[in-house]
Amino acid sequence: MNRRCRVVAIAALSLAAGCVQGSYDRAAFDEPIAVERLQALRPGQDDLRRCLAELGAPHRVFEHAVAADGSAGVALLWYWRDQTGFGVELSSGRDDAPGSLSYDQGDVDLPGCMLWFGRDLVLERWQQGLVGDLVPRRARPTAAAGD
Amino acid sequence: MRHVFACSTLLFAAACAFARQDTNDPLDAATIRSFVPGTTTAREVVERLGAPTEVVQLGRRSAYRYDATAAKSTVLLLLVVNFGNQDTRSDRLWVFFDERDVLTHYGASFGTHRPQYALPWEDIHEAEDNAARDADRPGVGS
Repeated sequence: MNRRCRVVAIAALSLAAGCVQGSYDRAAFDEPIAVERLQALRPGQDDLRRCLAELGAPHRVFEHAVAADGSAGVALLWYWRDQTGFGVELSSGRDDAPGSLSYDQGDVDLPGCMLWFGRDLVLERWQQGLVGDLVPRRARPTAAAGD
Repeated sequence: MRHVFACSTLLFAAACAFARQDTNDPLDAATIRSFVPGTTTAREVVERLGAPTEVVQLGRRSAYRYDATAAKSTVLLLLVVNFGNQDTRSDRLWVFFDERDVLTHYGASFGTHRPQYALPWEDIHEAEDNAARDADRPGVGS
């Protein structure tokens, strides 16, 4: 590439900076729980104490399997993020031709895992997947049981 | 020729930025380890840790959440392409109480000392790196 081409290329890039922007981003949040650690848990045997000792504190806790007498089980949710993605944003940069277009590859659901415990706080099952598929639908908590 | 190279370098290396964002104070591992299931009450937990972030009803039981997060962000702004990295880690504590508000279980995770400034293609949080950072935090490293 001769000098003139180089100067033109730099000038073109300078002019394009206002209307074409690319990005390469990474966002990490906490650390994933390896499936091997989940497979080591024993449904029907391991209790809440052992699972908390093995996996640490979850991110969210939910009421689970509420009985008529007011007792309930527990569901624990862990989630994490380590996503790398490209993004491109195009904009016209002109008042008489407004408009912009953006694309972000990194905007997807969070992965996570959930553990369900029965009313005796013994592990019933676990599952890995996307948080949106794992969490129960929002519901009002049970009324506090009277004495 | 040198001028063209210098100008192009300056144009492409427009700026870089670093930022840190913390939410809540890191949890104190020694205080958490002083909790005794079957003995410690919800009142004692709140006296030592303050108000929880969240309280969840679990039938007749309840659980309190305490947490803190630390995020370190690095951004390299070039002419037509930008590179960004945000590394976020959290401290979390869940304490579970029975219907008499006596502690039955707790689980804690400590991570706010682990975030790093890095560019998106860098490998961070290798096991030995985490272990070295854990060792520097009282009550967390073995």
